[in-house]
Amino acid sequence: MHKEIIEHGLTWNRRRFLSAMSLGVGSIALGSLLMPDLFSQAAGEEAALPPGIPHFAPKAKRVIYLFQNGAPSQQELFDYKPKLREMMGEEIPPSVRGTQRLTGMTANQSSFPLVGSFVDFKQYGQSGAWVSDLMPYTAKIVDDLCFVRSMYTEAINHDPALTFLQTGSQQGNRPSMGSWLSYGLGNENKNLPSFTVLLSRGVGNGQGVYSKLWSNGFLDSVHQGVQFSKGENPVLYIRDPEGMSRKDRREMLDNLAALNEMSYAAFGDPEITAKVQQYEMAYRMQTAIPEVMDLSKEPDDIVKLYGPDCLVPGTYAANCLLARKLSENGVRFVQLYHQGWDQHGNLPFEIAKQAMDVDQASAALVTDLKQRGLLDETLVIWGGEFGRTSYTQGRLTADNYGRDHHPRCFTIWMAGGGIKPGMVYGETDELGYNIVKNPVHVHDFQATVLHQLGLNHEKLIFKHLGRRYRLTDVSGRVVKDIIS
Amino acid sequence: MNKRVKFFAEQLLIVFNVFITFLLVFESKLEVPAWLQPLGRMHPLLLHFPIVLLLLAIGLQWYTGSSARSAGNVYGVFSRNLLLSGALLSGVTVIMGLFLSREEGYLGDTLLWHKWTGVGIFFLASVIYLVSGTSWYKGIIMKAAGTLAIASLVLTGHFGASLTHGEDFILQPLSVYYEAPPVPVDQAIVFDHLIRPVFEKKCISCHNPDKLKGELILADSASIVEGGKTGKLFVPGNPGISLLMERVHLPLEEKKHMPPKGKTQLTENEIALLTAWIRGGTPFTQKVVDLPPDDSLRLLAAAVLKPVETKEEQFDFAAADEKIIAKLNTDYVTIAPLSRSSPALEVNIYNRAAYTKKQLEALTEIRKQIVALNLNKLPVTDEDLKIIAQFENLRQLDLNFTDITAGGLKELAPLRHLKRLMASGTAIQYNELKAQLPLFKSLEIVSIWNTAITPGEAEQLQKDYPSIAFIKGFTDDGSNPLKLNPPQIANSSVVFDGQLPLQLMHPVKGVQLYYTTDGSDPDSIHSRLFDSGLVITENTTIRAKAFKEGWYSSEIAEFGFFRNRYVPDSVRLLYPLNSVHQAEDAHTFFNTKLGVIGANNPAWANYFAGVRHNDLALVSEFKQPVTLYSVGLHYMVEEATGIYPPAWVEVWGGENEHRLKLLVKMKPPLPARGDTPSLKLVEGSFTPQTLSYLKIIARPYADGEHKKLLLVDEMFLN
Repeated sequence: MHKEIIEHGLTWNRRRFLSAMSLGVGSIALGSLLMPDLFSQAAGEEAALPPGIPHFAPKAKRVIYLFQNGAPSQQELFDYKPKLREMMGEEIPPSVRGTQRLTGMTANQSSFPLVGSFVDFKQYGQSGAWVSDLMPYTAKIVDDLCFVRSMYTEAINHDPALTFLQTGSQQGNRPSMGSWLSYGLGNENKNLPSFTVLLSRGVGNGQGVYSKLWSNGFLDSVHQGVQFSKGENPVLYIRDPEGMSRKDRREMLDNLAALNEMSYAAFGDPEITAKVQQYEMAYRMQTAIPEVMDLSKEPDDIVKLYGPDCLVPGTYAANCLLARKLSENGVRFVQLYHQGWDQHGNLPFEIAKQAMDVDQASAALVTDLKQRGLLDETLVIWGGEFGRTSYTQGRLTADNYGRDHHPRCFTIWMAGGGIKPGMVYGETDELGYNIVKNPVHVHDFQATVLHQLGLNHEKLIFKHLGRRYRLTDVSGRVVKDIIS
Repeated sequence: MNKRVKFFAEQLLIVFNVFITFLLVFESKLEVPAWLQPLGRMHPLLLHFPIVLLLLAIGLQWYTGSSARSAGNVYGVFSRNLLLSGALLSGVTVIMGLFLSREEGYLGDTLLWHKWTGVGIFFLASVIYLVSGTSWYKGIIMKAAGTLAIASLVLTGHFGASLTHGEDFILQPLSVYYEAPPVPVDQAIVFDHLIRPVFEKKCISCHNPDKLKGELILADSASIVEGGKTGKLFVPGNPGISLLMERVHLPLEEKKHMPPKGKTQLTENEIALLTAWIRGGTPFTQKVVDLPPDDSLRLLAAAVLKPVETKEEQFDFAAADEKIIAKLNTDYVTIAPLSRSSPALEVNIYNRAAYTKKQLEALTEIRKQIVALNLNKLPVTDEDLKIIAQFENLRQLDLNFTDITAGGLKELAPLRHLKRLMASGTAIQYNELKAQLPLFKSLEIVSIWNTAITPGEAEQLQKDYPSIAFIKGFTDDGSNPLKLNPPQIANSSVVFDGQLPLQLMHPVKGVQLYYTTDGSDPDSIHSRLFDSGLVITENTTIRAKAFKEGWYSSEIAEFGFFRNRYVPDSVRLLYPLNSVHQAEDAHTFFNTKLGVIGANNPAWANYFAGVRHNDLALVSEFKQPVTLYSVGLHYMVEEATGIYPPAWVEVWGGENEHRLKLLVKMKPPLPARGDTPSLKLVEGSFTPQTLSYLKIIARPYADGEHKKLLLVDEMFLN
């Protein structure tokens, strides 16, 4: 080795140094042409930022994600397309349809007749956003909402699309968005998990939700989503068995922690520490959970705001109310899933019921957060995993039709958390099939959510199996236009 | 160079000198005829040649020095020839430039500078050519002259470029990065911050005091009002007939379309801004916040300007010791900085059961740094507010649903920065609050919903304190009654062995439940009011409805209760169940769990067992003989999907498994086409029979070749 160093020193002369220099300067210049940000970063910023504190002053501290599982049809809810009614029954023009893949459910259809919405739309609020008659309560609060009509995704089936939206990958071994936030921002209330999950089911055609959607992936397991269920035991296995006093429990946990400490000293596996932390949190949750779950103290006006179903555990309305209570108690990410939006057929009947399930309670949540002064710091998101086709699936009759999966455009809304209120962003063509203005990719959406919570999506990284991972994989840009 | 050519060129140079002097003297009287204008317009084309030639010539002279004069020196001859060509061409360029400057649209200081430096170059070049043959033109004189010429070239070029491309053309891309931060909405002035930037970005490079195309200047408000050659720019209030909008909306190919083809066009937003500005009467000095809230200009402004609340407050106090913060952070108290570099702290206290006053007392160690404190739903008392009053920099205090009282808020008077006070769901009263509010000078938001303060009093407060926004929250005014949800039952199962007290319930407080047992529709006049007294002893269908003042009554809820007195000790199936309708196998029928309609519900898949191609046949055994008089079978009918009642059900019984006798055979009715899905019970009675073995056979219905599905969730033995 020593020899090589000496040799190297001897062979370096003035000419070589200068030619290398010029090459260096040239390549820096070239580099800055190719990567405009090359010099915009201050030195030292490169290093991964330690988790637990926002990277910059956040607009939002918490997220409530009202996931409409199954993909609600944008044509019947928020994306008004009168042209579809005019062209009812006509074949979708090939120029619009293009050549992209369709699902196996409609790919073999001999004809693709366009179908207009069975329901009427009106404009509401100062923003003049179009909302269908199926969503009367949401219509009243449009000036608090930002509709993004130009979302698009890469997956064409429910599970991959859902997994993609939640974890940034279609395959499902990555941490969920809630886990990333928990990792990036830490716990606000140490008596509750920072990521919780609530499930409900409508009458419409349902699609499964699996616990992989709230998985911590390769992150520490304290960041995994905790599912709250209806009934006597909202969180499973935290109630003490009969005959066990709180004191006994405390002693048992202390002794167990001592044993775990020894085993950590021997193996150094961080999962052991995570386990101890989870036991401790479960112990605190034993008193915190009943307080949060207790709906009996909610004032009458709140019950009327959310609708009477909010007192029936397991309903969407009850989950919305619970989401508010959890969020108010410092839970970073409350993830709701409402199943039943997969209207391949019988759409008019089913979607009306689905909309009735969620409309009042979704709007109530926004109103309730606002009156508690929490909307500024809570980002509420409403939307599904993709959109639905402008042509019908199956037979088109006078009063019935269905719509297939459509990843090329769909509508979501966001409220609070520093997102511009009273805004409609993005536009689809007049047949509602392709995006014509301001497309927002799933990774863009994820980058924006992280940004609102004070996290730079390019710096919230975790090294695993030799590479660095991000929620937004290797793309995504913050949609600055919708940030206030 | 050929001597004759050279002689001619030198003569031409003299002619140019005279001609240019003439042009300069009589400039103001000059009228350039149309056929000469193209020549003038070629000025920007030609000017590059003299620049290069002169630079080259001067450079060569410099290099060759005094030796250039010695006859026969190739460099010297060459550089002099270059100089002559350069001087001549600069003369042509100057003449063209003078022509061009007479066209409309060129005026101002920049042009003046450009003209005189340009002319200067020509004269200087002529002089240098004249003297470069003399013996004294060397050394310092030569270098000074050269430097002067080069400087003039640079200056002229710069002024010329400013004329064609606009000021700051070169540095513009950089200035984007250092763009002045947008003005917050509350400080913005309509013209200065909404309209002028549009003109500045897209119009001003051609319509400025230096280059006033169409005799129009868009740089200041007076000139904008004045308009240009074609007339006034706009008719205030009427964008439709305003010249400005006409030019903007003309097709791009149209010559008069503005900005001209090839220049950056106005964006949709910018056009909308201009339209709204003209429609609003072209206000110049009005503030954006003074516009009505639904004014389109104001709405558009929100997209352009910085919102008010993004101003991050700067705090002048020092950060607290990190060790102290770490120490005070407990399982129930969370202390976090607002952001990575902020000294300000936000404190949340959680868990009602764990709350003590000591938690607040401990926080006095960081009392200067706390700017937000959240005590939502904790049993905080007036006494505790005295501790909070020491947190001198507190901006936000959340006391929603705490135990504070009407008189308590005055304890907080020392908090002179307090901006947001949340006191909903507390015992605060109108009179006390009204008296205490003047103590708080900085208050901006006060939350008062769910308190004793009436809507009328809230209006009065808002009137008395217009600078404070009172959050009055959602209250139901009774104008949009909601429909109650249907009653529920609290009984753990609807299958009972002897008797069952009916437990109707409803989640909404104060609801009255009326019910019938005879299958008729319940109402609040004729039906029985549920008062927890009913004990069910027979198969019963309860139909119940909920009523409450101020609500629409609920849908009718129907609950079937079924008596099953005996549960067999063992059950076995004689033929297999459908592979997808296994439920809990043979135990399905006596597990007291009823299924529901709707394939999405787990109770559908888990509680219905089914057959299609063979009989549903099972043998039950009782260790102690039982006496039965009836057997019932509970099943689902969904005509549309081919779920049918059994064709028939046979019940066999006896003491010996191999010698059973037929007790009863039932034939349930078939559904009609289009019937809605339902759950049915078929029941058969027989003379009481003591038995140890019971065999039940149900045959799936078959429509010719087409076998229907039979789904059974429960059987009842009485």
